[in-house]
Amino acid sequence: MAAKSMCGKEYEPFTWLVERGKMRELVQSIGDNNPIYLDRLSAKEAGYQDTPASSTYITLPGMWMKVIGRVAKDLNIKLHRMLHGEQNYEYFQEIYPGDVLTGRAKIVAVEGKSCKAGDMDIVRMQIAYTNQRNELALKVTSVLVERLD
Amino acid sequence: MNDSQPGFDNLMVGGEMHKLVKAPVTHKQLVKYSGASGDFNPIHTDPEVGRAAGTGLIAHGMLIMGFAGQAITDWLPKKYLRKFSVRFVGMARPGDVVTVTGKVKEKIRVPSQRILCEITAKNQKDEVLVTGVFEAEFPNE
Repeated sequence: MAAKSMCGKEYEPFTWLVERGKMRELVQSIGDNNPIYLDRLSAKEAGYQDTPASSTYITLPGMWMKVIGRVAKDLNIKLHRMLHGEQNYEYFQEIYPGDVLTGRAKIVAVEGKSCKAGDMDIVRMQIAYTNQRNELALKVTSVLVERLD
Repeated sequence: MNDSQPGFDNLMVGGEMHKLVKAPVTHKQLVKYSGASGDFNPIHTDPEVGRAAGTGLIAHGMLIMGFAGQAITDWLPKKYLRKFSVRFVGMARPGDVVTVTGKVKEKIRVPSQRILCEITAKNQKDEVLVTGVFEAEFPNE
């Protein structure tokens, strides 16, 4: 059972260095061969400063910095019961190799509901990322579902 | 990567984005995606864990969202993308062939030129894996 008192909790900011090799590893694992993600010259010709982060790149800091694990622990969610329900991105600035991002995570909402599939708790968490110029670069909202059975 | 990226005026409500048909998902791909993304839940990579769970190995939902993202930025410049949301509906497994389709739902002219689109990823049995929406903003010419 997720702890509803944790709603609104904000986490200590964390920093994340955007590395070219890790960006490449991600698009290669997806099989996305768009040259703007792989080749600096192609990216520049297409109007970017450098190879931009692909649309789902920002999942990396959330996983590697163990943000979701920490939220699950605070809410007393058992990871094996947890499903990823939704993922929502808002893009404000391109992210490039060498950028230093600061992520600020918070728990936006915790709700319990019953439906045909059974009882579940639904947690909505958000991470807002700013870049080294303190510009808001990206906002990620994730919906995590804990099945209670 | 498709070279013929459409302009705002060429896009019609109901018009379809370029369809993306992915190569079959492989176990190796799930291992690579785990290493890239940092998601080491063994349900994605360890066949024993998949068997015990009764599901077999299942692909990361975020990998399927990555396929959907690939389809979007094959079709439109990445720099136009403003919002992208998905719901994870079904599970993909090694061997599955994922197809991403989408269409324009709305065109907005003011205060900026934007399109709202829906996007869907399905497997070879036409079962929905991921459904979502995205918004792209075109520069004013």
